[in-house]
Amino acid sequence: MATSPPLRILDAMCDCVALVGVSKTSLDDVASGAGCSRATLYRYFSNKQELLSALIAREAEALSGALADATAESGSLNEACAAIIVEGAEFLLDHAALSAVLAIEPAAVLRIVTLGGADEFIRAAAALVAPNLAAHMETQQDALRLADLLVRITLSHLQNPDPQFPITDPPTVARLVEQYITPGFVREPAAWRTDS
Amino acid sequence: MTEVDDPLTVHDHVVRCTYACIARFGMSKTTVEDVVKETGLSRATIYRYFPGGREELLHEAVAWQVAVFLSRLADHVAPAESLAEMLDKGLEFARQAVVHHELLQRLLQTEPERLVGLLSTESAKTAPFIAAFLVPRLEIERKAGRVGPDVDLAGAAAHLSRLILSYIGAKSVVDLDDAEQRRDLVERELLGWLHP
Repeated sequence: MATSPPLRILDAMCDCVALVGVSKTSLDDVASGAGCSRATLYRYFSNKQELLSALIAREAEALSGALADATAESGSLNEACAAIIVEGAEFLLDHAALSAVLAIEPAAVLRIVTLGGADEFIRAAAALVAPNLAAHMETQQDALRLADLLVRITLSHLQNPDPQFPITDPPTVARLVEQYITPGFVREPAAWRTDS
Repeated sequence: MTEVDDPLTVHDHVVRCTYACIARFGMSKTTVEDVVKETGLSRATIYRYFPGGREELLHEAVAWQVAVFLSRLADHVAPAESLAEMLDKGLEFARQAVVHHELLQRLLQTEPERLVGLLSTESAKTAPFIAAFLVPRLEIERKAGRVGPDVDLAGAAAHLSRLILSYIGAKSVVDLDDAEQRRDLVERELLGWLHP
């Protein structure tokens, strides 16, 4: 339950963004949504950007928790990878505030996930995903590399969905993981350089 | 300057001139008037070829640069003897092309929001092009016994094209500018599923 002022403020911010997007959200609306004064809001967050960053950090934390839950019962690397893709995609697709921003001000999201901002975004997302793979991987570096790959595949399908290939459909994703994603991480790399 | 009759020539001329205007003024400041001046054509002619006006001109200029990039990329990788070598060469070339594209890097700094919207539309169109380019290479790999008979080549090519675009757009935990690391990424993340 969100009872402390900062948590109520973040909830209110999330609701406002889901309604009108980031640029049209005013701190007055957030304060009244949180049932506090503007002065109280400013005691915790000095401006909208700071509030937005705090909200993103909180939502990343929520995603991290959802991924941990989704992979807790995974008995194999393949299961863990599939669970991460499906849960991650569902979390992002079901996120009301994110959907609103994508509909109202898509460029704000695009500049984070495409050229320019993408380096940082993918690095952060991979770091968030990797701990859920650790139990099935030999090294931390391998877990990070595989996490990076899973993030790219999920993002690509969210940005350019393929109706033949629903990224939230568990059997479809399980086949993708088994066929293309994990083989490179569970056996010695192919010696293609010696072929030619 | 006199009006040119060949429609293709006119179209190309206008697109190139629009690109020159963008390089000089940036995207948001380039107007149809600028393009009229740069091309030496009449306003009516510009609108006859580009009824969408300014937005269409900007879009076509970005699409043209993406097409130029793809055609250079295709030329660069054509001599590759194996699929792995092709992906290795392609990633190296593409990363360098993105990093050293002066105007692209400048626009990413100065007006990312305008640019990334157009680029992401183009990149969605680019994926099928790259996939079509990869299918014949996958057929060769199949003949060599490295792709199982149950693998859908179009599906494999689509998967690879998504990853290629992602790695072109954003750095990985693997350093793609390092030859050894890049080859390792091709062997594991991209082609780990091929039979040795």
